[in-house]
Amino acid sequence: MMFDKKVFRIIGQVMNVPLEDVNEHSSPENLKRWDSLQHMNLILALEEEFEVRFTDEEIFLMGDASAILAALQSKGVDR
Amino acid sequence: MASTDASGAIGDCISEESVLDVTYAEIQDFLNKVEMDHLPKLHVAILRNVTVESMLPYLRFLAYEIGFAADIRLGNYDNIVQESLGASEGILAQHTDCVLIFMKLENLSWGLARDLARLGSENAQHEARRIQETIAGILAGIRAQTNAMILWHGFELPLYPALGIWDSQIPAGQTGVITELNGFLRTALRSVANAYYVDLNLCLARVGGRAFYDERYWHIGRAPYSREALCEIASEDFKFIRSLKGKSKKCLVLDCDNVLWGGIVGEDGLSGIRLGRTYPGSAYWEFQQEVVNLYGRGVLIALCSRNNPEDVWEVFRAHPDMLLKEEHIAAAEINWDDKPTNLRKIALNLNIGLESLVFADDSDFEINLVRRAIPEVTALHLPKDKTVEYRNILASCGLFDALAVTAEDRARGALYQSEAQRRNLKAQTPDLESYLKSLEMVVEVRFAEQSTLPRIAQLTQKTNQFNLTTRRYSEADIQKYMETEDADVLSVRLVDRYGDSGIVGVCILKYAGQTATIDTLLLSCRVLGRGLEDAVVIQALKLAKQRGCEMVIGEYRPTAKNAQVKDFFPRQGFEPFSPFSGGPDGSYRYLVNRIPRKEPSYFTEIRSPIQE
Repeated sequence: MMFDKKVFRIIGQVMNVPLEDVNEHSSPENLKRWDSLQHMNLILALEEEFEVRFTDEEIFLMGDASAILAALQSKGVDR
Repeated sequence: MASTDASGAIGDCISEESVLDVTYAEIQDFLNKVEMDHLPKLHVAILRNVTVESMLPYLRFLAYEIGFAADIRLGNYDNIVQESLGASEGILAQHTDCVLIFMKLENLSWGLARDLARLGSENAQHEARRIQETIAGILAGIRAQTNAMILWHGFELPLYPALGIWDSQIPAGQTGVITELNGFLRTALRSVANAYYVDLNLCLARVGGRAFYDERYWHIGRAPYSREALCEIASEDFKFIRSLKGKSKKCLVLDCDNVLWGGIVGEDGLSGIRLGRTYPGSAYWEFQQEVVNLYGRGVLIALCSRNNPEDVWEVFRAHPDMLLKEEHIAAAEINWDDKPTNLRKIALNLNIGLESLVFADDSDFEINLVRRAIPEVTALHLPKDKTVEYRNILASCGLFDALAVTAEDRARGALYQSEAQRRNLKAQTPDLESYLKSLEMVVEVRFAEQSTLPRIAQLTQKTNQFNLTTRRYSEADIQKYMETEDADVLSVRLVDRYGDSGIVGVCILKYAGQTATIDTLLLSCRVLGRGLEDAVVIQALKLAKQRGCEMVIGEYRPTAKNAQVKDFFPRQGFEPFSPFSGGPDGSYRYLVNRIPRKEPSYFTEIRSPIQE
């Protein structure tokens, strides 16, 4: 699976929306269930899936799907 | 270890592939999609002073796994005291099954948790007393609202105590003060029925201190525990809930070759198998010790092995390092049939349901075959390349955990052995009545007492087959019935020439005016077929009469398991009392003065406090 599709899939699973409704613009603004608690669950799921660990600052700044993609890429995850 | 096991269970449900493939996202995805509307609800309330929201998917999944749809009410952040006193509507209710309490020391007393060096021992004692009063108040407050099971997660010991290495040398160090607080908490919980201490320090030790906490989310959202920690804690909580709901497993069925010993006895011979005090046989020896421990806790042990029976029994009789003995084995199917067939035979033989069995085997093939053929049986895989982990895999599974280990539990294995002897005698005596007489049965009926309360509650939770109404009661519920004038709780004990079966029956009568209702009538499956039910019903009728009742209502509530008692009341001379004649659905009535009833004659003695 493409790297960004994989991220979108996890966002969809955690936020309980179909994969086709997730894209790089997805954020707490446009996904109803994406609140601070689900954000935490999303981070936990991403860390497990990609075997990475974000710093507290990174978590704080990962405000939407494209920021999440960028943060993962900065850790060398892009596949 | 344990988190792997919990996700293992999840893995079994989602797919039968590798356990570690299942992720947190997949659990959430599974819960989003799975249909749960048809399942009974498990009402869980969580009172907490920290953020534990990420635990919910694990709780929901574990509930689903034992057949419940979890309805979880999360209390407001840091509102434990207020909510224990009923401040929030809809958190605690009479129908709540279970209350989880997370009261983390950091948000209760910063001084004790983080500032102890400055606090000094006198202030520390003062803080500890304040916390004790808070705990007592919360417990009383919850009990005023609900009889639900209370699971209180104790205080964690600090990974790095306030006074460093000096801390453990003095009684008033941080470790000492917190240990004492946990001691108080345990005592307080013991004095309340149906309230239990969850040892968070055990969870912490299993996960490892550094992996247990997630400092990032502690700071961002006051969520102290890591995903791994939450999985472990949820699994620990469900050991209690599984037992409460009567879903604990009753029997461990073991393969023999490469499980109880290394190698194949049929090929390697008695002297060629690996079993002993030193490597590599020590892995099997220690595994056997764990099996014997389970036997001591009341778990039935059975064998299911493709072998010549003589070969296996020779190991049991002649191998010097067998910890597991023939007398521990309640049932054995050692033959060349397939394992699903043999597992069905074992369940039938022991008179327990397939869902009460745990099957342990080293072979992928057998494990997968059993999972496909009998999904009710829990299959525990012992991988060939991890023999040194066998003991941990069994010890960490938590499937056999019980809220209390009673004297009956400890003696259960021996009872099943004498049951086998009874069956032999039955084969020799053709006439049932004279067979029953030859057992020299003594029945002892008593009103429930503090000492019998745990066993009575346990029987209501575990008994499925001979159970007219299958109402599950906690110790607190039974306590309530013991204290009220409107109900009586009877326990039934059976002793015969082969031994003391302990308390094997329960009858609960409820009174309204001149009518008594048999709210609960159950017998343990291992004493069925001995006419005990006849004696118990007569005791119930006599008691109702003694309490001034004219009519006794008996109710049958059908379940998937209790078809054998469908016609019980008509057989006992009760007449249908359906809605047509003004009674509740599925009920029968008995007019106390109508027929003189006699005790069955095959009991040697019936001891009872109930007068004629």
